Amino acid sequence: MLNSQQRDALRELGNIGAAHAATTLSTMLMSNIEMEVPEISVVDISKIHEHVGDELSALVIFQITGEVSGGGYVLLHIPKNSVIRLTNAMLGMTELERDLTEMDESALLEIGNIMVSAFLDATATLLSIIMLPSPPSMIIDMPHAAFQTILAMQQFSDIDQVVIFRTELRSDQHKISSNLFLLPNKPMLDEILSMLENLMK
Amino acid sequence: MPGPEEPTVIVGIGEFYAGRNPMSSIGLGSCIGLVIYDKDKPLGALAHIMLPDSQGRSERPAKYADTAVKFLVKELNMLGCRSSSLAAKICGGASMFQTFSGNLNIGERNVEAIKFHLKELNIPIVAEDVGGIVGRTIVYNPAENGKVSIKTADGTKKII
Repeated sequence: MLNSQQRDALRELGNIGAAHAATTLSTMLMSNIEMEVPEISVVDISKIHEHVGDELSALVIFQITGEVSGGGYVLLHIPKNSVIRLTNAMLGMTELERDLTEMDESALLEIGNIMVSAFLDATATLLSIIMLPSPPSMIIDMPHAAFQTILAMQQFSDIDQVVIFRTELRSDQHKISSNLFLLPNKPMLDEILSMLENLMK
Repeated sequence: MPGPEEPTVIVGIGEFYAGRNPMSSIGLGSCIGLVIYDKDKPLGALAHIMLPDSQGRSERPAKYADTAVKFLVKELNMLGCRSSSLAAKICGGASMFQTFSGNLNIGERNVEAIKFHLKELNIPIVAEDVGGIVGRTIVYNPAENGKVSIKTADGTKKII
């Protein structure tokens, strides 16, 4: 589904986007952010559970709109304990043994909006197009359940393989880990790939 | 006859398993975990169904409600189960997000389609845990007479 050159091009695109998202997170937390090299995986739908599990997490989910055909989603995934540490770090609180509240949800929506806008802005600038995030949808649930629901929606429903793009962003100082996922459908992936190919000419 | 230490088979999206081992589907959202089991024997099957209608596709029969129901029954028949001893349990079909277009309540449509096809084959639905807005992880162990345990992300557990 992807040759190694396409993989490299996508990884570079994601790297630039994720670096911008990491910078915004770093500013909000006033802390260094460690960023892993993005992983590009072509995954059979039956193996999605090997990439995302069922541990309680917050997911802030954006549909990609703008000058790009097809459809796709950007997901910010933060495990529950990291959500609590993140809100605590932002609001100067210390209690770790607590449930997630509306306060966490509004902090997450805020952070998600800022990080995902930065991610999409940077990737779109490189491609010389406009990509915008939809208003976010947030769920606090199992990541696998969110992924498969997205895959069951119309834009993905006739496919058996998906390209999942994942970057881990961590604050070691605050012990916060998060993942930024990009899930393009086939038409969007094809268009991004052909734009990248033109760039490299 | 396998012991309780028999490994659990993880059934991913669009997959199925039929046999004696414990079986599990992780993080069902709008998808359905369909368990069909033999009331008289420690044998059963699980399909992780993603969509209501195969529209004529024949690869991945466990992915679609219409093909999955018939397919599981056939698999169980081949393992020696009589169709008249089979019963079903259904889990999943949640509506995880309201805000995106193209969603069209796929979970609900999955549940309806599965019920329709089970009825066609006269397989009774003994219990169900469907709909709502939360994801579910399910485990079914044929050694425990059709018991299905369900876990949600907040740690709540129940057995149907």
